[in-house]
Amino acid sequence: MAGEPRQPDPDVAREPDPDVAREPDPDVAREAIEYCYEQGWSDGLPVVPASQALLDQFLAQTSRSPDEVLWRMDHLGRECTVHTAAINAAMAGCLPEYFPVVLAAWDAVMRDRAAKGGGWQSTSGPAPLIVINGPIRGELGINCTGGIFAGGFRPNATIPRALGLMLRNAFGVVPHVFDQTTQGIPGRWAICFGENEEESPWEPLATEMGLDANANAVSCTLTRTYEFVDNRHTQDPEQLLNDFADTISRTGVMIFRAQSAGIVFCPEHAQMLAGAGYSKVDVKDWLIERCGRVEADLRAAGKDGVSEGGLGARSASEDERVPGEVFTPFLPGRASVPIIVAGARNAAISMVFRVFGEWSNSSVEIESARSPVAATKGG
Amino acid sequence: MICSDAFKATADAMADVQGAPGYVYVTTPHPVAGLTPEQVRERAEAVAGEVAALLGAGEQGRAVR
Repeated sequence: MAGEPRQPDPDVAREPDPDVAREPDPDVAREAIEYCYEQGWSDGLPVVPASQALLDQFLAQTSRSPDEVLWRMDHLGRECTVHTAAINAAMAGCLPEYFPVVLAAWDAVMRDRAAKGGGWQSTSGPAPLIVINGPIRGELGINCTGGIFAGGFRPNATIPRALGLMLRNAFGVVPHVFDQTTQGIPGRWAICFGENEEESPWEPLATEMGLDANANAVSCTLTRTYEFVDNRHTQDPEQLLNDFADTISRTGVMIFRAQSAGIVFCPEHAQMLAGAGYSKVDVKDWLIERCGRVEADLRAAGKDGVSEGGLGARSASEDERVPGEVFTPFLPGRASVPIIVAGARNAAISMVFRVFGEWSNSSVEIESARSPVAATKGG
Repeated sequence: MICSDAFKATADAMADVQGAPGYVYVTTPHPVAGLTPEQVRERAEAVAGEVAALLGAGEQGRAVR
């Protein structure tokens, strides 16, 4: 079934149409969808009603036991099993063959220190950023090029939504109760794309993290804020990097002594930097040295005080702690500057993102699907 | 327990999942994060009586809400 709903034509003779007879009954579908709303299972959008037969198809995609506990939140007394994850992936609109990616994405994000430490209930409402590497991108129709943040592709839209529904339905982290989000991040459950390995001048993210060059893998971290850098104006790599450094060096994001900021480079920016001889490490080191502010700027924003120990929470100090002209770098090291290449070559527009806590700097290999991949692809 | 009033819904829900529905706690106006040490002291003084009453009430206090 595709295209516009069939409209009745009063001029057509009332003979049974065999094609119509085979179409699903939209009223029955809507009844099931409304039932799911009534149970509180939806994130606001319609969910796919999951039958046992559909659930079995999901579970057939993994060697993991349905009873395996993916994660337990002791303070809430709740856990999520592979079985529960499958139900929520189905409701999110995933195809069964996406399920190993959903499981790997969950495992990847739960390596994040902040996710383990209560980040899912944070007042900032962080969003998982899910990046996929390997041939599975093409096999599942995962978008890696134009519009990676803009929707329009089934796996990109439904895999992160599955994580959101798992959080809601398995752990009961729902808005206004255990989800204490103040405003949240636009597109919180919709940030998932493949790395554009074909147009990246650098090694894939998962390879950088130590997996085999052709591995199917997911990398994931909790993030806050996404801000573009539109620079089609220069061919000087240092001018370009200065533009990124200016965006990264905002005081608004500084809660602690240091921060972590990543870049999703568009192919054009990445190729320009690589063409000028910059490796990923070179870009990271350049930014680590230059991203930051003078103390006077931090004092003007009421963030010049830093508590001792821990993460070094910032506050307004009563007296000038450090001379105003002293430069304070914001990025503590290479591990705090994840670099990804994705998007189209249409224009020189990249995205800076903020890591909510601390990315694990690791990638999780995706288990090979156990059943043949269905002919239907997303998109 | 003392909780800023913005988190009352969460605190009540936590009490429920921990098997202590109706658990009694003290609230202070939100926000707290930006207060100076002196302002925190004022807040503490403002709720000290309620905290003492709660501690003194023991099991009885948990039943009254």
